[in-house]
Amino acid sequence: MNAILQTLVSTVVQGSILALISIGMTLVYGTLRVLNMAQGVMVMVGGFAAFTVVDRTGVSPWISIAVAAAVTFLLGVLTYYMAVKPLLGRPGVDFEMTAFITTFAVATIVQNIVLMIYGPRQKPFDPLWPGGFNITSEVSITYHSMIMAVVAVGALVALGLFLSRSRYGLAITAVAQNLDAARLMGIPARRVYVVTMGIAAALAGIAGVLLAPLYFVYPNAGDLPLLQALIVVIFAGLGSVKGTIYASYIIGFLSSAVAIFWSSAFALPVLYIVILVVLVVRPNGIAGKPQEARL
Amino acid sequence: MTSVPLRALGWPQIKPIPLAVAGVLAAILPLVLNSSYWVGVCTLALIWMVLNQSWNLVLGYSGIWNFGQLAIYAIGGYAAALVSLHTGLPWPIALVVGGFAATLVSLVLAIPSVRLRGIYVSLLTFGFSEVVRLLIIADKTGITGGTFGLSGFDGYGLQSMEPQARYRLIYWIALAFVIITLVAMYFIVRSPLGTGLMALRDNPSLAAARGVSPIKYQLVSFGISGFFAGIAGGLYAFTYGVVSPSLMGLGQMTLLVTMMVVGGLGTLTGPLIGTAIITLVQAELQNWPEIRLILLGLVLLAIVILMPRGVVPLLAGRMGRLNSWMSAGESQESKPSKTPTKT
Repeated sequence: MNAILQTLVSTVVQGSILALISIGMTLVYGTLRVLNMAQGVMVMVGGFAAFTVVDRTGVSPWISIAVAAAVTFLLGVLTYYMAVKPLLGRPGVDFEMTAFITTFAVATIVQNIVLMIYGPRQKPFDPLWPGGFNITSEVSITYHSMIMAVVAVGALVALGLFLSRSRYGLAITAVAQNLDAARLMGIPARRVYVVTMGIAAALAGIAGVLLAPLYFVYPNAGDLPLLQALIVVIFAGLGSVKGTIYASYIIGFLSSAVAIFWSSAFALPVLYIVILVVLVVRPNGIAGKPQEARL
Repeated sequence: MTSVPLRALGWPQIKPIPLAVAGVLAAILPLVLNSSYWVGVCTLALIWMVLNQSWNLVLGYSGIWNFGQLAIYAIGGYAAALVSLHTGLPWPIALVVGGFAATLVSLVLAIPSVRLRGIYVSLLTFGFSEVVRLLIIADKTGITGGTFGLSGFDGYGLQSMEPQARYRLIYWIALAFVIITLVAMYFIVRSPLGTGLMALRDNPSLAAARGVSPIKYQLVSFGISGFFAGIAGGLYAFTYGVVSPSLMGLGQMTLLVTMMVVGGLGTLTGPLIGTAIITLVQAELQNWPEIRLILLGLVLLAIVILMPRGVVPLLAGRMGRLNSWMSAGESQESKPSKTPTKT
């Protein structure tokens, strides 16, 4: 009973964070057809930005979330200009594959710049709200994990409202749904790309601050989130926002269940086998549409 | 006239003189280099050439976005090391066993991969290689040695030789395998199999309609590529006497992908030249490890953006243009002399 309760709590927390990271990848893939391999690095940079601000100025960690979001937003925009924009509309080059490689290159560059500045050591980051409480005698919830879930879900709801209500959000949705129609309606697609890359990175940055107290802040902190996010987006089918949210919680549940009932070392391999089966049965994930060429 | 359609097909042309010169230079290189450090660097480059050549068959010639090759390479290395550790078989057999183990894993990876399209393949294979790495790191049974890797096997069994001669011999063994791989790849690319793979890459629907089975052809290409990657892994294991999870990972992948992209994907000499260039740059930067990977990332970014086809096709294109310019001049010069005789 306790283990089941623990699994459920862990599912909600992990699923929300996963959704926050992978929704950015889905959004970028939906609009630009770029699989952003720099998303994991954004998680790491978010953690470092928050750590630096708190360490140097001593402001509240809550403000550091905003700083981390701003820093990663700018880095996301920079990634667009460095790695994606030069490839757009180039004939004779496979756009998706080259963009995969260039964003990967950006990830390597950023990771090693951070490594050069801060060194490889893990840096501690205080929970946003220390302490916790017990549901039963053995199952406890830290306040921080509650905050993780609340902030992540809050950010997702805000994103949903932004995408469905605001002018810019609607532009992103329109470009994702049909590029040509959106252009004909006068939406500047290339500017939408910039905003999308920025928002996706900012979401990952927020996730990075939330994860920092759990996993410390260090230059390789983005590797595991990237891997998990990749599993989520394959499972969901690239480009589907709704599918990504469902998939995040399913993957969150599976990985916490495996970690609690078996061993955390096997969480990723088990997920991977699940993905393998999903891909063989449904090659476009649970909600993905068959791929068509674009750009 | 017959050579023109072949060139247009993109088949590699043998240029005997440059190849022979390069081969001889490579063979006498360890005699010229006095430091064992540089011979070691060159040996590693040769091992990477075998690996990149095998990867290029899938990534370049077949156009399948396989980013899991490093895991297959490592599995080949582990298999060869385990055979060498637990049995008394001679090293060539251990290498081949490693190659076959890698082929098997490569085929298992290929079964879901060839059913998928585009970016999903890279996700699947990239995830596969990370999971293999994490599984080896998490391994507590002692079979693979976990994080610290597997060591203590005989390797080539040359421990009794004096160091300098041993380094040279190991270098020549690696060089022999580079040549074997190159020749094998040449014949594969020239064969109907290679033509079919390139057709599937360039126009899958047309190729399938003309009777080229995508699944069959691509499975075979995965198998062959896996075999050579496994051999490369075994060479690494026997050269350094250790295999560890550090054979895989993001940094290694960046390094090797950069080599192939710099040289030129889908060419036979591209992986060789790219590997040579990047290994040299890496070795020169040995004293500044912190900027090494930053620079590598920048090079990769710049090459993909500025010359996405790589150095070799760029130079080959320039050479081709020069040749056609020369021959055009020839025909223009010869025209005036011919026209009077005709009229």
